[in-house]
Amino acid sequence: MIGARDLVSAGAPLGGGARADVRRPIPTADPIVPLSHTATSMGGRLMVYLDAEAVRSAEASRASAAVVARVESWAARLTRHSDASELSALNADPRDEVPVGPTLAAVLRAGRSAIGQSEGLADITLLDERLAAEGLAVEGPAADRSLVEAALHVSRAFDWSMVPGPRGTAVVRRPAGLRFDLGGIGKGWIADRALRLLADWPSAVIDADGDLAIRCAPGKTWEVAVDDPRAPETTLAVLSLAAAAGLPARWGVATSGISIHRWAVGGQMRHHLIDPRTGSPAVTDVTQATVIAGSALRAEALAKAAVIAGSAGGLALLERAGVRGAVVLTERGETLALPQTLPLLGS
Amino acid sequence: MEEIDPRPGELSTPNRRPPVTPQTAHPPRAKPDARPMRVALGAGGLAALSALLTAIVVPARSPVAAPSDYPQADAGVSGTPIMVQRPIQYIQLQPGQTAPPGATVIDPAAPQPTAVVISVPAPAQKPIVIRTTQSGRVIP
Repeated sequence: MIGARDLVSAGAPLGGGARADVRRPIPTADPIVPLSHTATSMGGRLMVYLDAEAVRSAEASRASAAVVARVESWAARLTRHSDASELSALNADPRDEVPVGPTLAAVLRAGRSAIGQSEGLADITLLDERLAAEGLAVEGPAADRSLVEAALHVSRAFDWSMVPGPRGTAVVRRPAGLRFDLGGIGKGWIADRALRLLADWPSAVIDADGDLAIRCAPGKTWEVAVDDPRAPETTLAVLSLAAAAGLPARWGVATSGISIHRWAVGGQMRHHLIDPRTGSPAVTDVTQATVIAGSALRAEALAKAAVIAGSAGGLALLERAGVRGAVVLTERGETLALPQTLPLLGS
Repeated sequence: MEEIDPRPGELSTPNRRPPVTPQTAHPPRAKPDARPMRVALGAGGLAALSALLTAIVVPARSPVAAPSDYPQADAGVSGTPIMVQRPIQYIQLQPGQTAPPGATVIDPAAPQPTAVVISVPAPAQKPIVIRTTQSGRVIP
């Protein structure tokens, strides 16, 4: 675990709109030293943690800064909040067959797999429903569909495909008017992809605004605090994620919920997790779900699905999915976990 | 038309069978009444079926989380007691049947529980740098 006292700030702002704070370790006798790199990206925080030999600390700082720059580049392509992004261009394109670049193609493929992994609940085709929930006027499908309309939409969510092209590109085939919102799926993909950039570092963590991609060297344990949304800086549970003796380990941790990203429309509180079965913000008794899996993308998709499904259905879904662990906070104040989480719960 | 020789002991012309007199005819033998046996077998089958239904046990692969059922204290990783809800075996009864002593009976109309959960105790609040959180923010 990285202790805040082990770090000193050597701040260095980055270009491209990112604010970064590189922290270098205080020299110690330990040959392995932790290093962290903080930036603002994707509308939230981006953090890179890695363990490096003391002699490689400068190299590690450069590697972390390179990761931040790549993440900024990916986020600029994948955001729906900029008209200049590749995602916005796809959504605005009137054609039903649209060529896309390799990054967007990779994330769309990941999003398509997430739909299947989450039994249809983590759906990246719900942009119009999301905008409707935000109270923004949209043409096309509106919130609060009839059951028939909802069923038609669920079937439509799978009615798009991608034809592979050269060098990772693809052509997206979709029904007319189908638009994409990558949301947390994009962050999960970015976390996993960014960790691959740090392949030379056996112990590293990418924190993409709460979605974590983690690599553990043998003998290493990363401690992860599950945030308690009811009070700032408090912890719901502590996860100790380690590697088995002699073998490296890969973990993904993601948290989704309805108590942070919310807003009022017409006097009613709404949140950002759209239930594809209704086209509206999910009605659920789960305030927050944290999933531990093999990748950040999978953890993100399943955490979102668990919130949308509610506590009973969500825990059952997570069990069917074979997750490594899950911590669920209900609106009744219960903190529940699947049994396989027990060995991961630290002090 | 070719005529076939009759077999030994058979009449060559069936039409000429001699009349059977009442003295030589045997009265039809009375068969035993099957109804009592059928009733007995049916009752036995019903009893066996009833016993089977009474003893249907939900297998452990579909356990139930019931907060008040058999809580047991386990030592967690940190040694902090954690209330763990064990898989529970239930008996589902037919109307009119009585549960064995100590058995837990569930309502067959109740939704089937599907997951065992554990209650997570509040951890010690200590500073940990890496945190997993919900993303986004409250928009006024």
